[in-house]
Amino acid sequence: MPARTPYTEVRFSGLLERPLILRGELEYLGPGRLGKRVDTPYREQTRVENGAASVQRGDRPARTFSLGQAPELEGFLRGFAALLGGDAATLAADFTLSASGDAHAWQLVLKPRDERLARRVGEIRVDGSERTPLCFVTREGDGDVAVLLVDRLAAAKLPARPSQPQLEAICRDGATP
Amino acid sequence: MRARVALLVAWLAALAVLAAFALHSLRIGTDLRSFMPPPRTPDQKLLMEQIGEGPGTRLLLLSIDGAPEARLAGLSRGLVAKLRDDAHFEQAINGAFDASALDEKLLPYRWLLSPTLDAHALDADYLADQLGQRVEDLASPAATLLKPLLPRDPTLEVLALAQRWSPPKAPVVRDGVWFSSDGAALLLAQTRGAGFDPAAQGAAIDALDAAFRALPDAGAARLTISGPGWFTVLVNERTRGEADRIGLVSTLGFVLLLLLAYRSLPSLLLAGLPVLSGGLAGIAALALLFGSAHGITLAFGFTLLGVAQEYPIRVLSHRRAGEDALASVRALWPLLATAIVSAAIAYLAFFASGVTGLQQLAVFTIAGLLAAGLSTRYLLPRVLPARFRDVADHAWLARAVHALDVLPRPRWLPWLLALLGLAVLWRAPGPMWENDLAALTPVPQELLLRDAKLRGELGAPDVRYLLVLHAADAEGVLTASESIEPRLDALVREHVLDAAELPSRYLPSIATQRARQAKLPDRATLEQALAQAQAGADLPFRTGLFEPFVDDVETARTLEPLTPAAFAASPLGTRLATMLVAREDGWLGLATLSGVHDAAALAAFADSTHGAVRLLDLKAASESLVVAYRERILRALGLALVLLALTVVVALRSMRRAWHVLAPMSLATLLVIVVERASGLSLSLFHLVAVTLAAGLGLHYALFFERPVADPAEARRTLHATLVCVASALLVFGLQALSSLPVLRAIGLTVALGVGFHFCLSILMARARR
Repeated sequence: MPARTPYTEVRFSGLLERPLILRGELEYLGPGRLGKRVDTPYREQTRVENGAASVQRGDRPARTFSLGQAPELEGFLRGFAALLGGDAATLAADFTLSASGDAHAWQLVLKPRDERLARRVGEIRVDGSERTPLCFVTREGDGDVAVLLVDRLAAAKLPARPSQPQLEAICRDGATP
Repeated sequence: MRARVALLVAWLAALAVLAAFALHSLRIGTDLRSFMPPPRTPDQKLLMEQIGEGPGTRLLLLSIDGAPEARLAGLSRGLVAKLRDDAHFEQAINGAFDASALDEKLLPYRWLLSPTLDAHALDADYLADQLGQRVEDLASPAATLLKPLLPRDPTLEVLALAQRWSPPKAPVVRDGVWFSSDGAALLLAQTRGAGFDPAAQGAAIDALDAAFRALPDAGAARLTISGPGWFTVLVNERTRGEADRIGLVSTLGFVLLLLLAYRSLPSLLLAGLPVLSGGLAGIAALALLFGSAHGITLAFGFTLLGVAQEYPIRVLSHRRAGEDALASVRALWPLLATAIVSAAIAYLAFFASGVTGLQQLAVFTIAGLLAAGLSTRYLLPRVLPARFRDVADHAWLARAVHALDVLPRPRWLPWLLALLGLAVLWRAPGPMWENDLAALTPVPQELLLRDAKLRGELGAPDVRYLLVLHAADAEGVLTASESIEPRLDALVREHVLDAAELPSRYLPSIATQRARQAKLPDRATLEQALAQAQAGADLPFRTGLFEPFVDDVETARTLEPLTPAAFAASPLGTRLATMLVAREDGWLGLATLSGVHDAAALAAFADSTHGAVRLLDLKAASESLVVAYRERILRALGLALVLLALTVVVALRSMRRAWHVLAPMSLATLLVIVVERASGLSLSLFHLVAVTLAAGLGLHYALFFERPVADPAEARRTLHATLVCVASALLVFGLQALSSLPVLRAIGLTVALGVGFHFCLSILMARARR
């Protein structure tokens, strides 16, 4: 996966009536470090490094908060960065992995080893093709689901109110060109 | 022989009983305040409370380093959890967000406590802005933290309050806890015990150390403690340790000296009994009359009781060959009794001082001197061994007496010395008095620097300054506190100080709470505003999601405003309790200040409030207390001197003889002060006590030298006794004068100098001419 990729993120939450759709760019900055830019529907720049996340919105000064307030979050983000960076060793330290499919269309399911993290994040499913992950589906402990489409899937056409099955289909099909 | 042994056994048994009684019934106080004059002004009263009990002085600053950051953060969390369960500590914080800081019951009060409503109304515009931000939060890494809060608190009022209640200038938070710029985890712990109470602080620090070491993965990590309480313990330990070491060496020297002087081990051991009796009698008297005594009283008392060691030495030196010990004591007794009674009468002046500590000192010293004197007179001679060596047989003594006899003794010399002394005193450098008690028990510079650095990083309050708000009731104090908040904020911007912590930061006045309450919309209005915000900004939140929020606002509309009493039950209540104090004449608010850069500007600000706010400078106030205390001691000493002179005149039945005794004593005391002042020393309470002890010793030298004796052998014995006394005093106090601790050095130097001057001047002025 390249160091930068456009993305489309769709969040399904119990708090929301309809899914939240964000578009922007993801940046892999090295082990444990991640940058995320939101372009629409609002502008925001997030950086995760050294156990802290700094969030800057519009012209407001950046807010920094520690991931240590929820130490499990750090494991999640570390795993995420490891996935993007192809760092299998770090990944295996934090998650149990199970793979299926073939090199053209593979699927990887990650379950957190840390109990506290498992309460927050049920599993992460990654669909990909060859050496490129294309879609991340994160099921959170409270039932919320975030679907992250990257690389060539970031430009996939979505309905105005996509449903979860629709997105899962995009992920599956995206990996089989 | 048998009678002697029986008497000795009875004496020792009596001492054992006395010791058991004293140990059992005397409580040793360590609180500095019982040694201070009773406070008179409200400021002094406040000072007495604040010395040690103010929120700033009970704060311990902690840092943990020597391990990777994640481990340090874990240790910080573990330590806080343990300290919160520890009875020695009132609170412990490390920067971790503590959702339980605001009681579940008090949650609806957040609208009344937070200043949000002062600037915004809960209308559609404000809600749309807030909810828009929450949507963005949901897509950020903070989402998992915030999601549980949203339905009840979409404006994140709880977080706003947590921020308002965290220390004004909090350190950076990493891994959920405070860290210093050089990577150490930082914590604050507030003890329950007073800051300047070494016993209470010692117990708290021991508990803290134990809690830290018991943490599962403390490993090589290091806990560093700082703050007033830690300094109290440290200084106490250092002083005691050094005093013990010096005491041991000087005791050994003293024993050797007496062995050399009297060549008899039994005599030596028995000679210790009168002072022991005196010490125990003094403690027993304190236990009977007061029930407790301050540690300083005992330390001063034992110092002053050093005079009593002279009594047995006189008995041993003055024994004549072939004479019964009892007979020689009888011959000595009138003079010894004069010395004892005049000293005891002089100490009565201390009793009249009205300061508990000084009264205890007087009781201890008088009881001790009388017991030591009476046991020297009535018990010691009856248990001394029959065999001894008459010191008058020493050939060198005869030569020494002869040398003294032919020594020129010009009459003008004392007058010249006195004049010169007064002139030097008048021109001496530096201030006459040392008012800062802390200067005598200094904390090492590097620890002070470390404390300042930690204090700066933690934004912990300054120990020296406090803002005091006074009003008829708690509401008045809180109103005043609110009214000065903007002015203090302006002073912070002007860098007069770094931060101020006002009571209204935790609890607004009832009026303010009511004003905020009045701004809360009713259920229908709020629901409509929410719907309008959702629709207007096209927000994706589920309808009905914010029902708990609407319920809370509805509840808050009819709440009785929070009062200090109602707030007291919550964890923050203890914090508020130290800042809001009820007094007989109203309520006081205490605002702690951090990083005061310009005390004059703060004082000017306080002046401009026409008495509503006062700046209390604890250092200045405590120095004024020391001055008041010293004035009492000086007055007591002046009175003591008059009483002493009268007693000596009456006992000697001659003005001329009394002059021979009192003149060298007074001149020597003057010269001690002259030498210390000329070398730039400022005098403290400890110097005064030491001067008093030296004067007591000098009185003995002068009394015995002045005594007309026909027998040249008796003159030799007098010189022998005096030489032994002088040598032992020089040994004991000379060693103390070499101490690295100013307080021991002050006592040692003064007494050693005094003994030298008293001895020389007694020879010059008191010794009977033949």
